[in-house]
Amino acid sequence: MYKTMSPRLRRRENISGYMFLLPSLIFFLGFVVYPMIMCIWTSFTDANMDINTPTSFIGFANYKELWQDPVFLKGLRNTIIIVVVSVPVVCIFSLWVASAIYKMKEGPLSFFRIVFYLPVVTGSVAVTVVWKWMYNNYTGIFNYLLKNGGIIDKNINWLGDPKYALACIILILLTTSVGQPIVLYVSALSNVDHSLVEAAEVDGATNTQAFWRIKWPQIMPTTLYILIITTINSFQCFALIQLLTSGGPNYATETIMYYIYYTAFKLSRFGYGNAMGVILAIFIAILSAVQFRLAKEK
Amino acid sequence: MKKLLALLLALCMVFALAACGEPAPAEKPAEGETAETAETTETTETTETTEAPVEITLWTYPIGNWGDEATVKALIDGFTAETGIVVKVEYLTYADGDDKVNTALTAKQAPDLIMEGPERLVTNWGVKGYMVDISDMFDDTDKAEINAAALAACYAPNGAAYEYPVVMTAHCMAINYTAFVEAGADQYIDLETHTWTTEQFFQAVQALYDYYGGTVGAIYCSGQGGDQGTRALINNLYGGTFTTADHTAYTWDDPLNIKALKALYDQDGIDFDPGINGGEEIANFYNGIFKMAFCWNIAQQLNPNSAGTGAGLTGSGDEIVFMAFPSEDGTAKLQGGIWGFGIFDNGDPAKIEAARTFIKYMCDSEHTADAVRASNFFAARSSAEGTDLSTVWADNEIMDEYTKILPMLGDYYQVTTNWPTARTAWWNMLQQVGTSDGSEEAIAAAVAEFCKQANTPAA
Repeated sequence: MYKTMSPRLRRRENISGYMFLLPSLIFFLGFVVYPMIMCIWTSFTDANMDINTPTSFIGFANYKELWQDPVFLKGLRNTIIIVVVSVPVVCIFSLWVASAIYKMKEGPLSFFRIVFYLPVVTGSVAVTVVWKWMYNNYTGIFNYLLKNGGIIDKNINWLGDPKYALACIILILLTTSVGQPIVLYVSALSNVDHSLVEAAEVDGATNTQAFWRIKWPQIMPTTLYILIITTINSFQCFALIQLLTSGGPNYATETIMYYIYYTAFKLSRFGYGNAMGVILAIFIAILSAVQFRLAKEK
Repeated sequence: MKKLLALLLALCMVFALAACGEPAPAEKPAEGETAETAETTETTETTETTEAPVEITLWTYPIGNWGDEATVKALIDGFTAETGIVVKVEYLTYADGDDKVNTALTAKQAPDLIMEGPERLVTNWGVKGYMVDISDMFDDTDKAEINAAALAACYAPNGAAYEYPVVMTAHCMAINYTAFVEAGADQYIDLETHTWTTEQFFQAVQALYDYYGGTVGAIYCSGQGGDQGTRALINNLYGGTFTTADHTAYTWDDPLNIKALKALYDQDGIDFDPGINGGEEIANFYNGIFKMAFCWNIAQQLNPNSAGTGAGLTGSGDEIVFMAFPSEDGTAKLQGGIWGFGIFDNGDPAKIEAARTFIKYMCDSEHTADAVRASNFFAARSSAEGTDLSTVWADNEIMDEYTKILPMLGDYYQVTTNWPTARTAWWNMLQQVGTSDGSEEAIAAAVAEFCKQANTPAA
């Protein structure tokens, strides 16, 4: 139909289209593209809050400093641990739960969806405060149960001990991250062509074979989406750290996102903070590209 | 129709963006005109400013009841009635107040007035060029009336004053007196003067530990909240220092501080806890878990706790007694808190003048007593325009008792360069000490590492 239009009509249609696009485009340019460009530009400067000293271009100095900064390196290491642990666990656990519940009747299915989705819609501050109570060194429920169960003699300072602090953060992250993947997997598994599964079962395929050969390829786009979203969320872990540990003890829970915040907003070193932001963006982009590539090949 | 709709949408966008933009040109001074130069044209604009009421914004941190809307409203209403200047107040918290102010500054949306201490107003925003120099507001009488330490803290090294002080206090610690009596540790404190020696402090902790077990007091270090308490404790135990006298460098690597850290590490009942901050320490103290709190001041002593058992009592009704920090001879150097007002240079002479009027009203007038009472702290000056401020709290027994430790107010070193970095380095150092093996070498290494960090200016 578009091809049959006169050039004038086509131009008018194009203009109308662009006009409709304009509001979103202005916001996209103003709040996404412009800040991104500014972030990259600022990362090559010594920008800070001091208006007495003008900002100067310093080339790659911020980037060089990053790799000599032990706190950044520790933050990078912790961030990678969070990603490496949480992404597979979230994907596998949510797929397992979804597989177990997607054939249930509407009532029980909704119940489980609500249970797992509740931490997602609950405010992160509220969730964190509750977890902080549970982890409390003196009155927390974990120490109470473990001590009364005879498992420990002395209270464990969950968030104050470098041995446990990062694991505690990851545990909270997992509980708040599985809700959406479960809902997505339930939906994806429900949409699998069951005639194929039935045909395979008639041909003698086991449940495992039917899952890997028929269901898995069909839910691959959902898996890819979940992988990328979970990876990005794990890389951007900030609120938990800010509310629970401030990166401590001994930088045991320092993440890149928290260090960016600290550097930019507490020390007002905008250039250095933005350099970290650029590095983080590059990491996320590379990892997402790899995930895309692998999923495409499969 | 479609085209019309598109045009309408585009127009809406343009108007929306215009509304988010800068104020009308008439409200702005000419480009390049600073607040100071703009002030010279003040006389020609006087008629205008008296005709239309000037509206200024005040952002205040929760300094006693200066964080309470009803209390502040009463003060502001009085000011507006007398001057015709309208003041809009926004209440900040210590959790995110700095971020809000910094964001506002970078977006050129800073308030006209701000209430906080010199570590923020002078050392941070002042020296970075965001604040108006108000040194001309201090005449000889003011300089004579204002506490010398408070006055000095309001001046930056360049000689400009970025804060006008209104209230001050000395931070202290608190003990659960009922628990002390039960454990027989009350013999180690001087209730009359609220003081004790280092030796008595450790004897008391041991007695409490022997009686109750568990944690008697915690060196909290999960963040910077309440860090003045841990600094004061460690510095006072053996007379260590935090900075040089001229506030040019940090001196935590003082062997006397290392000795104090080692003694605290080795003491039964004292735990380095990287899981809690000052606020959480107070909560644990109120709940009876800790028998002493290092993050305390008169505001806590006056305020009834959340359990509703009353002022000066724990949640279970135990009596709380404030104490000076222990030192070898029993005379502590307490950490001071100074609070006052500063003016952000927003380039509008009328607003700057209105802000100065506000400061004069709150800090140096017959209304200053009300501003002081609202804070639950002590006046930063002896009198204001003939009003004796030393008797502001004469009718309050607790405040009157607290004045006994005020003479122990020590050096206000929070104005030392690189303060934000130093604060973070301090609690990180405590975390490292707490998780070390407690050997003198490990403690010294941690102290040296973070002291160096504090002394290294950000690139």
